[in-house]
Amino acid sequence: MQSWLEKGCDKINPPAHSLVLEEVRVVLKYRHCDGNLCIKVTDDVVCLLYRTDQAQDVKKIEKFHSQLMRLMVAKESRSAAMETD
Amino acid sequence: MVLLESEQFLTELTRLFQKCRTSGSVFIVFNTDDGRTKPVPRKGHIEGFEPADNKCLLRATDGKKKISTVVSSKEVNKFQMAYSNLLRANMDGLKKKDKKSKNKKSKATQ
Repeated sequence: MQSWLEKGCDKINPPAHSLVLEEVRVVLKYRHCDGNLCIKVTDDVVCLLYRTDQAQDVKKIEKFHSQLMRLMVAKESRSAAMETD
Repeated sequence: MVLLESEQFLTELTRLFQKCRTSGSVFIVFNTDDGRTKPVPRKGHIEGFEPADNKCLLRATDGKKKISTVVSSKEVNKFQMAYSNLLRANMDGLKKKDKKSKNKKSKATQ
């Protein structure tokens, strides 16, 4: 399993979209006591992980999270949705 | 694992976040949901089963309590707005960017 830490949340975007949607899972882990947030996107072959402790990243991560959710829920228009992104 | 309606899931998720403020983590996982209720047999396939591809399964846990919900393409818009607001409101314990503003101030004084 290849795993790497992305320097910016925008960098995680294109590689995440290339993963096969049927087998992908997204994990979000939030620790308030330690003040950090971690988002992981994986299809059990490739694993993309992004950790942060900056408040400014919350909005980006939440936006990215929503995008992924919309992609998963979209029907055969999935490929069209990915192209527009 | 408790399967809830979307609204109930959001309420319970808020509670999970509030419970974990002093210690612990909140894990949120989501993947696509086929709508399958039976395990796939090794040989052949399940008869009369059409895999659905317009649903996603959302799960949340604090390590002890588990909750989940299924979101379909019909509810996604409404659910997403509420869900995004929830995340933004609860994930407020991260560091605010102060260093840059402090550097700017010190540069200005020099």
